[in-house]
Amino acid sequence: MNRDFRVWLFTLVALAACIVLQSTILSKIAIRGVRPDLALIVLVFVSLRRGSMVGQVTGFASGFIEDLMNVSPLGFHSLLKTVIGFLYGLFSGNVFIDPFLMPIILTIAATILKGFVSGLISSIFGIAASGFITFAGRLWIEVGYNAVLAPFLFALLNLVKVFKQADKEGS
Amino acid sequence: MPGLFEGFFRKHRRGAAFAALLLVSFVFLLFSNRAVVIRPKEMGLSVVGFFQKGASGVFRWFGDTAGSIRQLSAARQELSSARERLQEMDRVTRENVELRRQNTSLKEQLDLSQSLPGERIAAEVTARDTDNLFSTLTINKGSRDGVRKGMPVVAWQGDLEGLVGKVVLVGRGSSQILPLYDPQCLVSARLDRSRHEGLVGGEGKDRGTILMRYVKKTAKDSIEYGDLVVTSGLGGLYPKGINIGRIRDIKAQAYETSLELEIEPIIDFDRLEYLFVVAPGTDAEELPR
Repeated sequence: MNRDFRVWLFTLVALAACIVLQSTILSKIAIRGVRPDLALIVLVFVSLRRGSMVGQVTGFASGFIEDLMNVSPLGFHSLLKTVIGFLYGLFSGNVFIDPFLMPIILTIAATILKGFVSGLISSIFGIAASGFITFAGRLWIEVGYNAVLAPFLFALLNLVKVFKQADKEGS
Repeated sequence: MPGLFEGFFRKHRRGAAFAALLLVSFVFLLFSNRAVVIRPKEMGLSVVGFFQKGASGVFRWFGDTAGSIRQLSAARQELSSARERLQEMDRVTRENVELRRQNTSLKEQLDLSQSLPGERIAAEVTARDTDNLFSTLTINKGSRDGVRKGMPVVAWQGDLEGLVGKVVLVGRGSSQILPLYDPQCLVSARLDRSRHEGLVGGEGKDRGTILMRYVKKTAKDSIEYGDLVVTSGLGGLYPKGINIGRIRDIKAQAYETSLELEIEPIIDFDRLEYLFVVAPGTDAEELPR
């Protein structure tokens, strides 16, 4: 099987698995209803490793799956995750990712970016939803949760064969 | 000319793909979100308004923090008196629950429970929202079980039946529920004791708090902490008399013509496992509680 195809396939399966986990098992460990966004951490990892093209397309696909599973209007999560995947892909090959500190910093930035972009989309399109008080307490709980889990998830994904070679794709 | 375009897209493959994906997402949003109106001026205002809201939020935070420190000492004094009232309220609530139980038991003895109007579809919560931006509960019953869009959903917790929300999306074997704490879920409500009416909706901050708005300011003297809020049945979507929650705080701003009541929901949404979808025709006030 073509290596690129395996990367796309594995990424999509991993993102879909994270989304299912978030909506089921992880809700048991939610703090004030907030749970970690594993799919976001995986998207950050993949975008940094494989570049903008893989980041934005898998971001779009995973966002589309989330749109189907939520009461959000279709296109909301796809737009959000496309932007994050694209932006993080721009740093691919330019950032040294150590095992501990960089995953935390990059994931914190991604979660804040998610809060900001989702607030902007909801404001433009007039979407009312509970998580959209951009810098309210719920966002910071998610920031903390994601930051704690990021090094572990990055370490786990580093073990996956298809991601081992951190080659940046050409634009 | 075609060669020129081809060269351009080959050179900017990544950017072109990004633009295409953004466009697809925008089109999806425009078609699936009924609230959107494509008018450049309004959209521009929304973008600028977002940043203005952010800036004013930061300033307000500093102001609120300074104010909070001042209020802290006053709050301590109020706390001790509130604790005493709370203990009294707890006692009354326990008595109330006990009376309800006795009432239900007596009605059952009279075989009233045999004549429950309407139908309730028992369901289990199988999933929740995939991230922290939207509020969704997914249940294991769908159209083949008789669930229809717009049906109200209730659950039992601690001897009390409480409103959970309404069905917003129905699949064949599963459905999605918009919970009460979501800002999009609005319920016509009434205070059980004083009968004043208002509109209950989620605040969007926390699932442990919902708000009842548009209650007449003149009602302030007849409202007490701990008063039960129930559905009023107006609008026809929710049956009359389903418990929603109890009043936790009363906010009366001088510049507003109505009261804003903070309500603690009867249902603890984090513990929610099983619930009932209520078929049309069921009026909760007619049921033994």
